[in-house]
Amino acid sequence: MISLLHAFLPLAELAMIQCLLALSQYTVLRAGVFSVATAGYACLGAYSAAVLVTQYGVSPYMGIAAAALVGLIAGIVLSIPLALLRGTFQAIATTAFGEVVCAMALYAEPITQGAMGINGIPKVVGPLGLLVALVLVTILIVTISRSGIGRAFDAIRQDETVAVSLGVNVRKYHAFAFAISGTIGGLAGALLAFNTYSIVPEQFGYIMVVPVLAAVVLGGRVSVAGPIIGATILTILPELARPLAAQRFFLQGGILIFVMVYLPDGIVDTVLNRIKVSRSARHLVLQPQPRSS
Amino acid sequence: MLTQQIFDGIVVGGTYALFALGMTLVFGVHHVLNLAHASLFMWGGMAGLYVVTALGLPFPVALLVGALAGGVLGIGLDFVAFRPLRKRTDEFGPLVSSIGANLILLNIAQQLTSAQIMGYPFGTFPAVTFHFLSIRMSLLQLTILAFTAAAVLLMGWYFKTSFGRQMRAVALSETTASLVGINPLGVYLQTFFISGALAGAAGVLVGLAFNSVSFLMGEPILLKAFVVIILGGLGSVRGAIIAGLLLGIIQTLAVSYLSSELSDAVLFTALFIILLVKPTGFFPGMRRDARVVRQ
Amino acid sequence: MTHLSLDKIAKRFGGLQAVSELSVDVSSGEIVGLIGPNGAGKTTVVNLITGMLKASSGEISLDGKDITQETAVNVARLGIARTFQNIRLLKHSTVLENVLIGFHRQGRTSMLANMFGLPSVWREQAEFEEKAHSLLKRFHMQRFAQQPAGSLSYGHQRRVEMMRALASSPGVLLLDEPVAGMNDTEAHDLGILFRELANDGLAVLLIEHNMRFVNAISDRLCVLNAGKMIAKGSPNEVMSNPQVIEAYLGPEKYDA
Repeated sequence: MISLLHAFLPLAELAMIQCLLALSQYTVLRAGVFSVATAGYACLGAYSAAVLVTQYGVSPYMGIAAAALVGLIAGIVLSIPLALLRGTFQAIATTAFGEVVCAMALYAEPITQGAMGINGIPKVVGPLGLLVALVLVTILIVTISRSGIGRAFDAIRQDETVAVSLGVNVRKYHAFAFAISGTIGGLAGALLAFNTYSIVPEQFGYIMVVPVLAAVVLGGRVSVAGPIIGATILTILPELARPLAAQRFFLQGGILIFVMVYLPDGIVDTVLNRIKVSRSARHLVLQPQPRSS
Repeated sequence: MLTQQIFDGIVVGGTYALFALGMTLVFGVHHVLNLAHASLFMWGGMAGLYVVTALGLPFPVALLVGALAGGVLGIGLDFVAFRPLRKRTDEFGPLVSSIGANLILLNIAQQLTSAQIMGYPFGTFPAVTFHFLSIRMSLLQLTILAFTAAAVLLMGWYFKTSFGRQMRAVALSETTASLVGINPLGVYLQTFFISGALAGAAGVLVGLAFNSVSFLMGEPILLKAFVVIILGGLGSVRGAIIAGLLLGIIQTLAVSYLSSELSDAVLFTALFIILLVKPTGFFPGMRRDARVVRQ
Repeated sequence: MTHLSLDKIAKRFGGLQAVSELSVDVSSGEIVGLIGPNGAGKTTVVNLITGMLKASSGEISLDGKDITQETAVNVARLGIARTFQNIRLLKHSTVLENVLIGFHRQGRTSMLANMFGLPSVWREQAEFEEKAHSLLKRFHMQRFAQQPAGSLSYGHQRRVEMMRALASSPGVLLLDEPVAGMNDTEAHDLGILFRELANDGLAVLLIEHNMRFVNAISDRLCVLNAGKMIAKGSPNEVMSNPQVIEAYLGPEKYDA
C-alpha cells in the first residue's frame, strides 16, 4: 500500500506542476491572447530561484517569491510590445521570446552554468507544497474568472470590436492577463526547480511549450477546470500503458489534431456547453409560452 | 575572407529561401502558418537519403524523390490537418493542428530511424571545388545555388500563368473565387504540393551539405524560417527569397564573429524587434492586418 | 442634456472619398434619421463617431467637448453606445452574459478588487445582474437568459444587442439598421421603444433603409448619397426633395 503511494507520488507531483503551467497558459488564451510565453516565464522563474538559492544562499521561500516576481515583471514587459500584435504574430513573437530566454540560459554560463544546468537544488517542495500552490493559484484564477475581469476576457476573446464598443480597455486587460500568466509561470518554474534537484535550459524549450498548450487545448480555454483536467490527462495517459509512453509525441500530436477538428472547445467546455444548452432547452419547454413576445 | 563568407552565406541563404518559400506560399493562400513544414523538409531529406543508401540510385534521383515525397506529404497534411478546419475563421485551430501534425511526423521518423543521425556514403556527390575571384566554391554549393535559382524561376513562370491568378483569387476570397469558376481545392492542393516539394528538395540538399540527416533536422531551420518570412512579409514570395539570402549572410557572419548560441539569441531578438516595428515585413505580402491600427 | 455634433466630417480611404463635409447633430430627446442608398457612407459615419475610424478632417464633439481624436474605448466610456449592422453578439456566451458585459462602462470596482474577490465586487455583480434581469423583462427575453446567444433567432438576437447597448446607460445611441429583416409589426414595436428611449433623455441617431419606419419615428432626417449630404430637415420636407427621390429611384424617365 505504501509502495503504491510512493509510486504514485512522483506522478502526482509532475501532474500538479503541469497543472500550474497549464493555468498560466490558460490565462492568456482565455483573454484571447495567442501567447505561448509560459515556458519562457518558467525558465526565468526556475533559474532566478535556483541561482539565488545555490549561489547566493537565499532561502528557498524567498527564491520562490523572487521567481514569481520575475515572472510578473516579464509578463508586464512582454505585454507592452505585444499590445499591437494579434493572432499568429503574437504566437511567433512569444515563441521568439521563449527561444531568447533559453538561449540566454544557455549562454550566460557564469550565472546559469550553461548547458550543464544548475544541479544540487535543495528539494524543499514536495507533494504537499505543490498541492498548496495549486489550490491557491486555482482559487485566484477562479476568483478572477467569475469577476468583471473574466467577463471582459470573454468579450475580448470572442469579439474584440464589440468589447471595445462597450468601453472595455483591451490593452489594460491584455496586460493583466500577461502579468498573471507570467507570475504563475515564474512560480511554476521555481517549484519545478525545487522539486527536481536540477534544471537545464533545454527543458524549457519546445518540449515544454507543446504539452502545456496541448493541456489547455484538450481541456478547454474557458472554464478553469479545463487546463487542470487537460494537464492531468496528458500527464497520466502515457503512464497508463508502456506503448503510450514511448509514443509520447505521437499521442500529444494526435490529441492536438483530433481535438481541434472534433472538439474545438476542449473536453470540459464542450461538456459544460452541452449541459447549458440542454438545461435551457428544458427550461424553455417547461415554461408556459406567452402569447406574443 | 569576407567575400568567402558572403558567398557561403548566400548558399546557406538559398536553403533558407527554399524552405521559407513554401511556408510563405501556404500562408499567403491558406492564411495559416504551417508549423509542420519542418517535417516536410525532414521527410524529404530522409527520402533522398534512402534512395541513395538503400536503393543505390544516383543523387539527382534522390533530389527528385525528396521533392516528390515532400509534395505528397504536403497534400496529405492538408487533408488531415487543415482541410477539416477550413470552414472556421480562427487562426488558433490550424496553427495548433499543424503543431500536432508536426509531432506525429517527427515521432514516426524518430521510431523508423531509432533517432540516429545518418550520413551519405562517400562519393555520393563529386567533391569538386572551383576557385573564382579567390572564392572557394564547391560543386555542391553551386548546385544548391543553381537549384534555388531554378526553383525560383520555375515558380515565377508558373505564377505568371493562370495558376498565379487563381492562387491570388483564392487567397483573397475562396467563396468569390469558386463563384467565378475556380476550383479552390485544386489551388489548395497545388499550393501544398509546391510548398512541400520545395521543402523536401531543400531537405535533401541540406542533408547532403552537412552530411547529417536525422529526425530533428528540420527544427532549427524552422525557427530561422520564422525570421525570414516575417522579415520578407508573410505571403510575399519575393520577400522570402531576399530575406532568406540576407539571413544566410547575416547568420554566417554572426556565427564566425560571435558564438553559435549568441547568434541564435541575436536572431530571435531581431525577430522580436521586427515584429514590433514592421510586422508585415519589408515587401508587400498578402497580409496587412498584423497590427491593431486605426485607419 | 446630451448633444452630439458632427461638423464638416470627412473621410477618405486612399483615392475614395467615403464621406465629405458632413454636418449633423442630435440632442437628448431627438431621433435623427440618417438615410441614403447602399454604399452612401452611413456605417462609415457611425464608425467615425465611435472612433473605430479616424476622421480625415472635421470635428466631432460631445456636449461641447472635442472627441474627434479619441480612441474607440474612450468614446464608448463617454457614453456613446452603438448596435452593429450585422449583429455582433458573443455567440458562445449566454444572453445574460451578453447583457452583463454591457454594464462594463458602469463598473466602479478596481482590477485589484476584482482579483481578490472583495465584497464590493460581488455587490456590484449582483446589482448588474438585477438590472440585466429587468432589461430582459422589458424586452420579454427572460426565458432565454441562459441560452447561448448564437442559437437565437434573428429577431431575438437583435433584442439582445439592443439590451446590451442600453445596459451601459448611454447618452447617445447609434443604431445601425436596427430593423433590417423585420416585418412591419416587429419594426413598429421596436419603433415605440426607440421613442420611449428618446423621451427618457437619449439622443438617438438612427441609420436605416426602411423608409416607412424612418419617416414614422424620426424628428429630423439627413440624407446621404455617395458620402455627401443632399438633404436635411423634417421627414416631409426631405421626402419631397427631388434630389432625394432621384437618389433612391433614379432620374425621371421621359417617354419617347
